[in-house]
Amino acid sequence: MPTGGKITRIAGAGGFWGDQVMAPITLMEGADVDYLTMDYLSEVTMSIMHKQKARDNTSGWATDLFDWLEAGGLKLLREKSTKLVTNAGGANPGACAEAVLGLACALGWVDCQIAMVVGDDIHPRIEHLNADGILTDLSGKEIDESLAGRLISANAYIGAGPIARALEQGADIVLCGRVADASLIVGSMLHSEGWAKNAVAAEAPICSPIESWAPMEVLHPLDIVAGWTLAGHLIECGAQVTGGNADSWADISDLVNLGYPIAEIAADGSSVITKPEGSGGAVTRANVAEQMLYEIGDPASYFTPDVILDITAVSLDEIGHDRVAVTGARGRPRTDTLKVSSCYSDGWFASASLLVPGPQAIAKAKATDYILHRRLAGLEELVIHTEFPGTGITMPKGGIELQEDLPEVMIRWSVKSPNRTDVEIFSKSVAPLVLTGPAGVSGYSARPRPRSQLRFVPLLVNRETVEARVDIPMLRTLRKALTERRPNLEAQVFNRLQRISENENRIITKRIAGRVLRELERPIGRGKVD
Amino acid sequence: MVNIGIIARQRQWYPVLKQAVTSGWLAEAWEEQVEGRIKVYEVPGIGALNCIMEKALQGGGTVSLRTDAQGKSMGQATLTVRVEVDRALAERLEVPLDEASQDRMGTIPIPVLAPSSL
Repeated sequence: MPTGGKITRIAGAGGFWGDQVMAPITLMEGADVDYLTMDYLSEVTMSIMHKQKARDNTSGWATDLFDWLEAGGLKLLREKSTKLVTNAGGANPGACAEAVLGLACALGWVDCQIAMVVGDDIHPRIEHLNADGILTDLSGKEIDESLAGRLISANAYIGAGPIARALEQGADIVLCGRVADASLIVGSMLHSEGWAKNAVAAEAPICSPIESWAPMEVLHPLDIVAGWTLAGHLIECGAQVTGGNADSWADISDLVNLGYPIAEIAADGSSVITKPEGSGGAVTRANVAEQMLYEIGDPASYFTPDVILDITAVSLDEIGHDRVAVTGARGRPRTDTLKVSSCYSDGWFASASLLVPGPQAIAKAKATDYILHRRLAGLEELVIHTEFPGTGITMPKGGIELQEDLPEVMIRWSVKSPNRTDVEIFSKSVAPLVLTGPAGVSGYSARPRPRSQLRFVPLLVNRETVEARVDIPMLRTLRKALTERRPNLEAQVFNRLQRISENENRIITKRIAGRVLRELERPIGRGKVD
Repeated sequence: MVNIGIIARQRQWYPVLKQAVTSGWLAEAWEEQVEGRIKVYEVPGIGALNCIMEKALQGGGTVSLRTDAQGKSMGQATLTVRVEVDRALAERLEVPLDEASQDRMGTIPIPVLAPSSL
């Protein structure tokens, strides 16, 4: 349990791209934190972002970030000296940095230091990696060539090291691509506790094992990394740990104003989970325990890029109102491989629903479903999945029993096929059931549009082949040029950029410069924040 | 793959949970939905079990045609199933039993549950 030493306060104000956009603002208004972490990426998010980027090279990142930064978030970060660490960069950290830097300049924060953690995107090298046997499935087997060729995105989960080094270089904001969720928090701790400083002094590679960065006097650095990772895991899903999606939902006050979590993390790896005073929700042993087991798999071996976490001996103790102490995490050395999030397009799908009233609601619903199946029977590759929500079809046996009939019932169809036309025929076959099936069926809307289906494929890659790096020097160069505000600014910026070392991305840099210069030409106070 | 965490509402009830919630019990309850292996891991520190059910989503979270494509509801759904527990053990640990329960075995709703998925 934390005892009087230095405590680092880290918030997790978002659980996915689609969570409450303004939560980080509410959190910062209600509490002081040292680091604000925002996780925007789930399994398929990267692939969706890659598709967006292919259509428009300024997109492909979590634009929700920009919305809350513009609505007052950036101003709060600056006023409170809170560092922002996020994987909002997604498939296009460069464009994300461009937008955020442009916003910072427009709001008068011209020396805002923005770092990018890049190198997670291994898709351009995928066939080469596969040919060399460096890429495998989760069981260690090589993947076949046709699958490798079909992948539309492949991003390795980067660990905490590069984040820590970006912060150590003075970054106010760290924008990452596909880093592991908990590594956002671990990277912040490596910076806060001076481990990153040690690493810089020792010239340790940015992706070297982070336990080797610990101060000499630390006896069990892996257990500390494990504790920080667990704290990260507990807050990475935002308000799911403070009473959202909790079994005790009926007893939890004010879910309307549910507070997002803050982890108070100690040097020894222990932490206290809490939330802003006055916010809704509840931080209890049960709610924290639920999040602790969320997507954890084998509790003795939760793999992250930084450590193998063992939570079997972890204790959760309520030590105050909305305060749960977390102790006892244990760590083993990280594996030689990194998990890769990849996807390929796997046919087309669509869904549609209809409402069926009583009398005989269930019988009518089944008849309606039968008619649809028979009308589409010629489409051999079309898979039709029917559910009658409300009848308990997705529930286990031995639980709540279905009544003989229901006053009304929904039918929900979801279909897929390799052929888009099959799905189009389905979508044209739903509305006719209203006039050509049993009585009283209603609720059809516009024909559902066939959508391309993305299949997630987790892979493993040898971590030696993934070269994560921090792109901050170019931004520092740019910042210097901007703050000097000399005449011929543009020419100077580009001259400087030309001298940037070869491991930096010149195309992105030029775009950033252009964007920033455009922002500078606009009248001050253009944004929603002065 | 679906991940369901089941946590004893009171830490001292953990032995009852371990005795009642097994892979066999889960397999029977989820017989119609789960096609793969079921494994139950122990998390003694917090008095919990972490249950992994493979091939439970008809095609994986990103391509499943189910309304609940990721199995997010399956934790709460599991809570609706009652378990049989050893009466003597339950009484010793002060686990509240149903009044209608039989002599040797009693039934209770499962203590708390984490609705989670992989």
